Formats: sequence, structure tokens, C-alpha cells
Amino acid sequence: MSRLEAKKPPLFTSKPLTRDAVSQSLSLLSGVLKSSYGPAGRLKQLHNGVGGCVCATSQSSALLGHLSVSQPVLRVLTASVRNHVSRFSDCGLFTAILCCGFIENFRSLNVAPFTVIQISKHLLSLCMDHLKSEACGCRVSVDFSSLETLVCLVRSILTSKPACMLNKTEVDHLTSLVLKAFVFTVPCHVETNAVLGKCVVIPVKGRRVVDSAVLPGLLIEVPEIQLGKPLPVKRTGSNVIKIALFSVSMSGDGSNPEEGTIVVHHGVSLEVSELNQLLSMGQQLVKDEVGLVLCQKVMHPSLKQYLKENGVVAVDRAGLSLMEPLRRVTGSQPIASIHSLSPGCYGSLKDLCIESFASKHFLHLIPEDTVICSLILCNRSETAWDELKRVCETAEHVLQLTVKEPLALLGGGCTETHLASYIRHKSSSLPASTFKDLGCSQTQYQLVADGFCRSLETVARSLSHDGEEVLTDMVYGHCWLVPSGSPCASKWSDLVSKCSCGVNDNTEDLSWSFLEGQSSTPILQGCPKEPSVKVADLRTLDCFAAKCSGLQVALETANLILDLSYIIEDQN
Amino acid sequence: MCRTSASLGSPPRLWQEAAALAGAVRGALGPRGGRALLLRPTGEALPTRDGRLLLEALSVEPPAARLMAARACSHRAATGDGAKSFVVLLAAVLGGLQAAGAGAGLRRALRDFETQVLERAAARGLRRHLRPAPPGSLEPLLEPYLAGRLGPGERRCLARLGAEMCRRCGPAAAARPRVLRLLGRRFAELHAAVPGLPLASSRLLPGIILRRDFAAYCPTDGELRALLVTEPLRPALTAPGVEFVVDSEGQYQASQRWITRRTEALMKHLQSNNVKLLLSSVKQEEVVIYYAKLYGVSVVECLSSEEMALISEITGVSPYTPVGDNMDREITETAVVTFCQSLLLVSKRCVHIGFASVCAFQPHCLVLCGPVDGVNEQHAAALQEAFIMLQQLFKTADQREDWKAEGESQSKASDVCTWHSSATQKQLVIENTCNTNQVSECQLKALSDETEGKIFDSDKSDLLVHNQKKHSIPVLVAHYSDTVTACECLDVGKGLEKTCFHIVPFKQEESCAGIAQDYSSCLIEAGSVLPVGGYFEILLHYYIQDYAKQCQQSEVTIVSKVVADALLSIPKALYGTAERDGFTKFYLEAINLLRKNQPLPVNNEGLESVYCKYQLVISVLHCVTELLSIDLVIGIRRPLQKTEDRDSEDDT
Repeated sequence: MSRLEAKKPPLFTSKPLTRDAVSQSLSLLSGVLKSSYGPAGRLKQLHNGVGGCVCATSQSSALLGHLSVSQPVLRVLTASVRNHVSRFSDCGLFTAILCCGFIENFRSLNVAPFTVIQISKHLLSLCMDHLKSEACGCRVSVDFSSLETLVCLVRSILTSKPACMLNKTEVDHLTSLVLKAFVFTVPCHVETNAVLGKCVVIPVKGRRVVDSAVLPGLLIEVPEIQLGKPLPVKRTGSNVIKIALFSVSMSGDGSNPEEGTIVVHHGVSLEVSELNQLLSMGQQLVKDEVGLVLCQKVMHPSLKQYLKENGVVAVDRAGLSLMEPLRRVTGSQPIASIHSLSPGCYGSLKDLCIESFASKHFLHLIPEDTVICSLILCNRSETAWDELKRVCETAEHVLQLTVKEPLALLGGGCTETHLASYIRHKSSSLPASTFKDLGCSQTQYQLVADGFCRSLETVARSLSHDGEEVLTDMVYGHCWLVPSGSPCASKWSDLVSKCSCGVNDNTEDLSWSFLEGQSSTPILQGCPKEPSVKVADLRTLDCFAAKCSGLQVALETANLILDLSYIIEDQN
Repeated sequence: MCRTSASLGSPPRLWQEAAALAGAVRGALGPRGGRALLLRPTGEALPTRDGRLLLEALSVEPPAARLMAARACSHRAATGDGAKSFVVLLAAVLGGLQAAGAGAGLRRALRDFETQVLERAAARGLRRHLRPAPPGSLEPLLEPYLAGRLGPGERRCLARLGAEMCRRCGPAAAARPRVLRLLGRRFAELHAAVPGLPLASSRLLPGIILRRDFAAYCPTDGELRALLVTEPLRPALTAPGVEFVVDSEGQYQASQRWITRRTEALMKHLQSNNVKLLLSSVKQEEVVIYYAKLYGVSVVECLSSEEMALISEITGVSPYTPVGDNMDREITETAVVTFCQSLLLVSKRCVHIGFASVCAFQPHCLVLCGPVDGVNEQHAAALQEAFIMLQQLFKTADQREDWKAEGESQSKASDVCTWHSSATQKQLVIENTCNTNQVSECQLKALSDETEGKIFDSDKSDLLVHNQKKHSIPVLVAHYSDTVTACECLDVGKGLEKTCFHIVPFKQEESCAGIAQDYSSCLIEAGSVLPVGGYFEILLHYYIQDYAKQCQQSEVTIVSKVVADALLSIPKALYGTAERDGFTKFYLEAINLLRKNQPLPVNNEGLESVYCKYQLVISVLHCVTELLSIDLVIGIRRPLQKTEDRDSEDDT
């Protein structure tokens, strides 16, 4: 008998954003995110009272993935940021801080949400048009023929996460490794539809970061191989190693997908029959001069022994995740039948050797020409390794995104302050028809625009964690940090030397002013100027695609949350 | 054991329940309404403004409220629109009836009202203001609909995408209804949602997207043939209920080898028939995939039955079954595929196939982007229902009883106009037969793009019409040009070239029909639209009051007054959120113009289908009748099966 429980009525909450609980949770979340932002950001220790491992991190994916957010409104926000991170890997904290800033700033305005959304949408389109225009002063084009901008881009990503615990030499070493790995994944012969390869990360924990290395081809861990002995590999006439890659089980246990019944007479053994089949296939492989047999699943010991005796290297249990890289490295077709072998399935390798890292032994598959490489990533502790792996993957992803759109944005908060000063300038000089089209008054527009700019500036201000003063200049609209405890000087130019992104210096008087949160920032007379960028000066760069999308997603999410007029919660 | 309670309640009780429901949905009504966040027990959060979802999420308990919600939902299911308006209007009607203190004859009066007043008001009054839907673009209809369903930042973008999708899927206007039906039915298969990207990244692609990767992919250029399969292609050794007896090891090996060879032979056969793509609804064995790769056949597995049905519908091809040993037979049932490629939807690899269509539907699919899944879900649902709503555009509203020409002589509103059309002049001279001293000129704004293609004979178009109304209605002498638009417009006053009002046009054929006393049985023609923003409600309000005057039955007069006033609750709610006195201003202006028999000025905010709106009024009236007719509520033990969900009688 089924037990009937009385259905609980749904919980109806109107005007959720006006509730205190929501604003408290929002400011708490935004505080957590802001304090983690940037190279000087503070780490958050995630731990469970019951046990398990602890993790110190400042990455949005790790933070948001582990935080349990009870407020439904904030659940929408975190879900949105996590979706963004899964698409772009980068700019998660930026998106989250900006989104919180939009909500906090717009909510306090005495303007109807409908109007706020209309206006903010218009402001966003101004931003996007500016970012996409040639005249944009906060973006640089990435030249793939020189390494400097790429190095800057990768270094910015590696240094942005302090939990990796890297020193300067380690950062330089890893930067070159990440770039090298990326270059390996670019195909040499470009067809119409070029597909980038893959970099497989191999964990080696407990070693120094500088022991990390990149190798072309694939590394397969082989626990039982005997060291010291030269690998006896058969080569074909054209001096390559022939490869057979099996996706089907070679264990000979007669796994049968049939649905019906099989009646076996006494004395007949299907296992023996299967093994005979496997061995006859082994003979075929030997005859075809195959030098290496790889199997995704388990291989029968007898077959392994037979192959070994005939000078064929046999490796099993490669696993599903390695199948695609293996296919690409060797150019072979995974074989799914033990009954017939087609010569077209075989692949080839240039060489095969044994590599050892720490206490692990690997079979190194060296191809003729490939887009697959292996990054052996070392770090001292488990936590730092996890963080480092995510950072390296982010860097690789960012490089891929940058290939598609060879642009980068100035980092260090300069893009945010530049955009804010652009919007402040632009919104003060709009024609009256714009306000009419949007159905708002000029005052309303100004209020929303101010909130929009303050949200952007909040992100730049979040980079200061040690009491540095954050300044902006009146010419380029860049972001400048003054170390705390600097002596009171008559001129700002004595205190600032370079802006955060490194493009501008203090040689000309740029009329600096505080980037204050609440007080009104003076509006630039003209459009913020485009500085002449010398690549050598650049300190930090951000991914263009990730930041543009993050900006749009942050606003769309904030608008979605502002538009909520009630919450209906099913309590069953 | 069953619990019974006397009836659903008296009108005051019903009104209270309806008012509570209306209060819950009013916040989401209209273009400035807000969203609700529905939290499911699973933890999913779905932002929505869909009246049906809101009513379901509220899961009301009182029997009468449940009936109201069910009727609102079934109205929505039929027309794709109006669940929130339904509840608001219902509450207003019940409130009015309660205040009027209508007596026992109420149900009969409601029925009489529908036939005697409402249908006449629609046919004779409202009908003249209708205009045909603009033939080319659907955006003016889509945008206001989406304005009631989505947030302010999203509606324009989605309206553009939706209109683009209609246009590209059905390039021929004649095929629109069919294409819209298919879009409404199969939208789930015709879009792919990508969370984590801004809405602006959404785009329309030719062909369809199958949200899974190829099991085997052999890139090819140009056109190729595809085969649909619904069963495993690897021959089975045994089947359920079948025994396979193994005598010797050799026999077993031989049969295994035979199966492998047979699979290979099949793939060879496909290759020789130029089949390069297998679309399978079941998972195929690895060996099938292996041989498919070897013979250059791409494979997509695990297609849902909906996807298979869609592909069959587009290509007219039915699934293939490998028959017996006959491998020589040519495969004829193949679909023509124009392209077949792997598409990277941000991080997931999908199959992107272009089909050569055998019907009017040209397959296109929409990649919907949004920050979270819930938003994509909301957008997809809104677009799908927008397509259902657009189908209503091609429906007509018929009257229930034939009252043709009856009582026509009493009609006060037999407007009389004199038309004169000249090929050269574009001026409209308005004469007033009652006060002939008033002559004014005005510019005729020829809405020639909206003509119904009727050409008036410029000599014979002098129609004489009478006016017997008390207040002076101008009789018109119109001189106008070449193709006479199916509408005329008149702005009284001078120097109107500059103001250049947009006009709610009268339909030429209707005014003719009015004179000839020849009403067809259709009340509202297919494709009739009105501007959004409360025009329908105010027009119907005005004409109901007008026709109610002819009615002798006092009960019907009461009902007419109640319904006429209740209709205004919708524009009131729309304006309520915007400006306080906006509604009063708009209402007075409109009623004044109607009294003078002048066309209403129109905003540029878009159009709405009159059929949907009219159907809403009918549905609400039926619901009221139903609520009043129920005298006993019986509590039963087992929940009712779907029968309760059957469409209400007013669904067409």
C-alpha cells in the first residue's frame, strides 16, 4: 500500500529582491568572490568537518562548485557563472563580481526594473560596439608570429591564481611549456577545417614544478615493463612501427550480447573456441608485421605471452579516454572485431621508448607528425597540483579561443576602468531620441549608467587587497594602484609609475583621481584616448572572448534576477 | 466514502477565489510584468511568465479555483496564449456579476448574451476595425506576444529569431500555416540550447542538429544518401525465446565469423548503394560501427522517436529493414542529405545534417543561447507557443446561431457613406449630411501595402449609405487613388498631413456587406489583427454596450454591462504598472473617437490576433456558466485520469 502524504502548499514570495535575507546573502557572496580576485587574492580553504581532503583555492569553478547556496536568486547567479566557466574556463570571478555589482547597484536605484533593464541593455550594446570597434583603447591584437603577447597572456593566467604557489622561474618555465604544448596541438598542414589537437596532462605529484615537461605524442603508463632492457620493437620495411588498436575486449571470456539462449553440448567449450580465435588473430598480427598491439580493454594472458614471444609489444587497459588521442597519434582505426582484420586499420609510429618520471614508467609513443602532446605536470602538494592543472587547462583553452579571435584585452583592471570612463563619456552625450526610444528620462538613464560604471569599477577595485589606493586617470581611463602607506606627496605622478596593465607611465600628467565607490567620478571631456601599445611594456592581458561573453552574461543574469517579481517554491 | 460539499459556492465566494488567482498572476501580465522563479522539488529553478506554469505551480486547492485554473490552461493549450488574461477577466466578470446581484436567470442570460449581443458586437462593430495581418513579416505579431512572456531585454532578439525561423522554414507564404503547425509541434527537435553564452550568440542554422556525436564519422563533400534504421544491423545468433545449440567449437566459430562477414556485407551493400549515413534509433553493435567506418558510412545512433518522426516527415522516407538474404536488392528508401558535418556547440560535439525536403517545410534549427538552462527553457517554451499562437491567425471565428438579417431594420448603426474614387486625387472629402456646412479635407494615408488585392472600379464605387444616428456622423465622399486599399481612413480636421495618424482602418468589404445586409456566418476572418495595448477590449466594450441597448431582456442587459466593464480590467492591468492615469486618458480618448465614428490612433507596438482574443472572451463566459451550473462537488478517492483535461467545449 502506498503511503499518502499530504501535499504541502507551495511557498509564494513576492518581490524577492527587497528581502533582507537576499541582500545579506548577496553581499556575503560578493565579499567572498571579491576577496579572491586577482594575483593578490586571498585563498579560501574548503573543508568538510567530517573529513576528506582540504582544498585551498581562489578559483571560481572550485569555489562556486562547493558552495551550497540556499537563496534561489543566488543559485541562478552561481549557475550562470558556472555555465560561463564551463564554456570559457576564464573570467569566472570577473563575471560573478560584476553580476553581483550590477544587482547591488541597480537594486538601490529608484527606477522601475523594466526601465533599468531597457537602459542597461542599451549600455551593454554601447560597450560591445566599443569593444568590437577598431578604435577601442583597451584591446590589443595578438600577433601569433611573435611570442611576446602570447607569453604575456599565458603568464597573466598562471599568476592570477596564487594557490598554485609558483615563483618567478616556475612561472616562466610553465609559460614556455604551455605555449610549447599549444604549438604542438596546431596542425602543420592546414586544411579548410583545421581541428586543433589535444594536450594530455599527466599528473606527477610531489616533484618540483621545474621538473614538468612537454613531449610530443602520447605517454601510456605501463607498470610492469622492465627497465634497462632495450625495447624489442619490430619495424616494417619502411622503418616504421605498425600499430593495431583494439576497442573490443580481447579477454576471450566470450561476452555475448545475444538475448536468446545458447545451448552448449557436453565437451564443447566456448572459451577455448574464443581463445583459439584470439590466437589465430595473434598469428595474423605477427604475419602482418605489427609491432605494437594496444587494447582499450583487457587482453588474455596467453595472447599477451604469444605476442611477446614474437617480439610484439602488447599493452592493454588503455581506457576509453585515451582512445581518441591514440587514434589520432597512430592514425589507426580502432578494431571492433576479433574475427577479421582489415589491413586498412593499422596505424604507424616513428618510434617507441620508455620514459620514467618520478616512480612511474611510461611507454612513449612517438609519431611522425601529430597534434597530440603530453604535458607532464609536477607540483609539490596535491592541492597545489589540482589548482595548477586547472590553470594550465584554462591557459590552453584561452589560447584556443585567441586563435579563433586574435585579440586580447588589457588586464589589471584597466579594461574595466576604461570601459567605465567610455560609458560615462558616451552617456553624457546621447541624443534625446535615444531616451524616447527607451521610454525613459535622461535622469533615469544617467542613474542607471552611473550604476553600470560603478559595477565595472568595483571589479577593478577588487584587485586591491593590501590597502592599495586605486586611481584612474582622466586621459586613458586606465587603472593605477598606489601601494598603501605611501607618503603623502603633492603630486600623484610621484607615487604612480605605471598603470596596472603596463601600457601607460607617469611621464605626462594624466590628472589622476580616486576610483571611489560612491562619490561621483568626474566625467572625461573627450572619449578616453587610445594609448600606443608597446608589446614589451605589457604586464597583463585578459582573454577577449571570455571577457566579452562574461560581461554580457553578467548583465543578462543580473537583469533576469532584477526582473523577478515573485518566487514560487514547490516544497514537496 | 466520498465527501461532498453543496456547490462550488455563491458568486461572492467564486469571485473571491478568482480574485485571489488573478492577484497571483497579475504581476506577470502584460509587457511590463515581471518574472516568477519556479523552484521545483528537484532544485531546478525555472524563470517564467507563462500563465499555465504559474497556475500549475500555485497548485490551488479549492475546487472552484482548480476548475478555473484548468479552464484557463485548456484555453491556453488551444490558442497558445491568454492564461493570465483569462484569470484576470474571469475575476472581473465574477466580480461584476456579484456586484450586480444577478438572480436565477443568470445562466440563461449568459447564453443569450453570447448570441444576441456578443456575436453582433463582434460582427457588426468590432469587425469593421479589423485589419488583415501584414503578409510579409510576423515580427509585429511575435514581439507583443513575447513581450507578455519574456523579460524586456530579450523579446526583440527572440522575435527577430522566431520570425526569421518562420520565414526560412516556410519561404512560400501559402505554406505558412503548415510550417507553423510543424514548428509548433516539433520545436523541441528544431532547437538546441546552449547554457553559458549570452542571448546575442543565438543563431539560426540550416538543417537540423542532433544532440549527440557521430558513432562513426567519415567526412564527405557534397550531397549524399542517408538511411533510417530502427533495429540492430548485426544479425543475432539467437533471439529472445530462441535456442541456439552449439555442437562443436568449429560450428560456434563459424557462426560468429558468419555474423561478422554478414555485417561487413551489409555495409558493402550500403556503400554500393551510395548510402553514406546511417541514422539509427537503436544503439548498434561495435562491429557495425567498425565496418561502417571501414566502408565510409557515417553513423548516428540513439535517435529519439521524435527525431526519427521529424526526419521521416521532412524527407518522406520510412525506416529500412534489411530483409533476409537478399543483398542484391537496391535500396530505394533513402533520404537526400545536402550536408552532414560535426558541429561543435561550444564544448559538445553535435551532428548537423541538412536534408532535402520533400514538403513545404525547409528544415532550419535554432541554437538558443542563454546564461542558464532555465532561461533557455523559458525562451524555447515562449517561442514554441508563439508558433501555436500564430496558427490561430489562420482560423476564423464562426457564430453559433444564424441570426442573419434579422432585426436589421432596427439597427441604428447602419452607417451610410458615399464613396467616390478617382485615380488622380488622393483627397478625401468629408461631407456631413446633417450639417452640410462642415467640410474638411484630409490626407488619406493609403495603407496600400496592406491591400487585399481588391481593385475598386473607380466609377462604380459610389456607395450610398445612410446615417440615422443622433450625433452627426460624417458621410464621406472619398476620392482616392488606383488600388483601393481594403481600408479607408479619415482624419477629420485640417492640416493633418503633419500629424499623420496611424489609423485603425475599416474594412471596405465590411461596409459593403453592411449595406447589402449580407452577413456571412464568419464573425472574424482568418488573419484579422488589431494593434496591441487594449484596443480589442475597448472596442468590444464599446460595441457590447451599444448593442445591449437593443436588448429587451433586463438580465441580458445586466450581463452585457458586467462583461463590457470586465473587459476593461485587462487594459487597466496593463496600464496599471506603467502610469496611473494612463488608462483613463487612453480610454476617454478612444471612446470619444468611437462615438464620433472616427478611427482610433494606433501605437507602433505591434499587433495581436483577434481570433485568440475573441476566443478568450468566449472561453471565460463558458467558464462562468460552467461554474454557476455546478451544484455538487464530489470528493473521490482516486485522481481522475486525463479525461478531465479534455478540451473544453469552446475549443475549436
